[in-house]
Parts: sequence; C-alpha cells; structure tokens
Amino acid sequence: MAESLQIQLKKGVLEMCVLALLSRGDNYAYEIASRMAEAVGMGEGTIYPLMRRMQNEGLVSTYLQESDSGPPRKYYKLTKSGALALKAQIGDWIAFEQAVRKILGDAT
Amino acid sequence: MNRAHFMAQLRDGLSGLHHVDIGDIVTDYERHFADGAADGRTEEEVAAALGDPARLARELRAEVGFKRWEQNRSPGNFLGVMLALLGLATLDLIILLPLLCGLAALFFGLAVACLGCIVGGAFLLVSLLWGGVMGNPGAQALIGLGLISGAVGGGALLLLLMDIIAKLLIRYARLHFRLFDSANASV
Repeated sequence: MAESLQIQLKKGVLEMCVLALLSRGDNYAYEIASRMAEAVGMGEGTIYPLMRRMQNEGLVSTYLQESDSGPPRKYYKLTKSGALALKAQIGDWIAFEQAVRKILGDAT
Repeated sequence: MNRAHFMAQLRDGLSGLHHVDIGDIVTDYERHFADGAADGRTEEEVAAALGDPARLARELRAEVGFKRWEQNRSPGNFLGVMLALLGLATLDLIILLPLLCGLAALFFGLAVACLGCIVGGAFLLVSLLWGGVMGNPGAQALIGLGLISGAVGGGALLLLLMDIIAKLLIRYARLHFRLFDSANASV
C-alpha cells in the first residue's frame, strides 16, 4: 500500500518536476531523464511519452542544436503557458502539502 | 536486452503509425542509447533503465493518436484514438469496450443516415430535370434542398459531438495512465 501511494505521488508530480527543471534552462531528454531517474526513480523511457504529451499540450517547445558528438540534439524549452502551468502547479502542491501536514499533525 | 532488441520491440509496438511519427520516436530512443554510451553505460544498462518497450510504445501510440485527432478530425483518426485507448486501458477494457463499440456503431449509423439524406436529396433535385418523381416540382425541390441542408447540419453537429467525446476520453486516458497504471513498479 505504502509503495503504491508513493508511485502515485511520483506520477502526479512528474510533470511539475520536469517543468521546474526546464524553468532553470533548456535541456535535452537524456539529461532530463537522468535527473528525474535519480531524484524520483522514474523509468528513463517514460520521459519520451511525457515530453510528447507536454508538447501536444503546448507546455514545452523543441528546437535542434548542433552537438559535439553525433547528429543535432533536440532541446526542450518551457513555453509561456508552460511557465504559467508550473506556477499554478507549485501553488497547488504547496497548498496540498500544507493541508496534509496539518491533518497528520500529531501523528508524525 | 541490448539496443537492437529494444529498438525492434519498440518498432513492433509502433507499427501501423505514420512513418514520420515512427521515425521521430525511433530517433529519440537511438539518441538516448548514444548518450548513454557517451556516459559510459552499456546497452543493457540503458535498456534496463528505459523500461519495457512494449509499454512505452502503447503510451507513445496514444499520444500520437491524440495529436493526429487534434490536428485533423477525420473518421480514421477517431478510430486511431479509440484503438489507442483500447491499448492503454488494460484494466478497464471490459468496462470500456462495450461503451466504445456502442459509440462507434452509433456514429457510424448517424454518418450513414446523413449520407443517405444527401443522396436522397440530390436524387430529388436531379430528377427534377426529367420532370420529377412527385406531383409538385416546387415541393420536390424544397424537400430535396431541405434533406441536403439538414444532412449537412447534422453532419457538422455529429463531428462536433465526436470531438467532445474524443476530448473527454483523451482526458480520461491521460489521467488514467498517469495515475493508475501502477502495475509496473517503476514510474
């Protein structure tokens, strides 16, 4: 039970975490995936369906940039609506976290 | 699993999609393996970290299907959305299947009815040239025009309804596979 709660929590914040990473600078999928795998144990392959959905929803845009090794790299960039979504999600997250902490109160 | 094995399974899961979409996705994952190698990881390590290619293909296929529908609301793309939903909804298949079949049958029936009205209306109008099949040519012209305009209006309404339902289903699916697909231990 505890494990499934953890999985669902992680899934719920994946998008917010990726948006937050991109708000600090454009990045490419491999780098985003490694950071997310390290931080929340996300399967690295999940980044591609996730980025595709966020692109469909207009939260991120892509551009190609030459790289030192191999073919040009696809970079992801936060769009205006992506930045707005991040702000809203952070607000939701903080409100939720505070409410849960209040209820847990003495139990912790 | 090595790189070739992973890519083969991924391609397998994506077969049937537009070749441009498949090319796009395959490039992403090939690049991931190349980046992993540059990072000093073996193909097996990268493949293990990526996860199950069949499951990834199902989610990618759904995203591509949704995007195609949002770009071009054709009956073929509607079918694509339905098939993608069936691929995702492994748990709710039994609940969703009759609903989706019923919806598909309903839309098909309404579309055929619209087409029938257009053909019937056109027949009434064209047959006026040969004296008409009804006693009153004026009434026949009006009925013919009425049938066609009614069918065009009905068709537009039908498309609107399909769009609303597809959007609802897409929302449901995104929520569903993000929050409830915990069959796989890794997120």
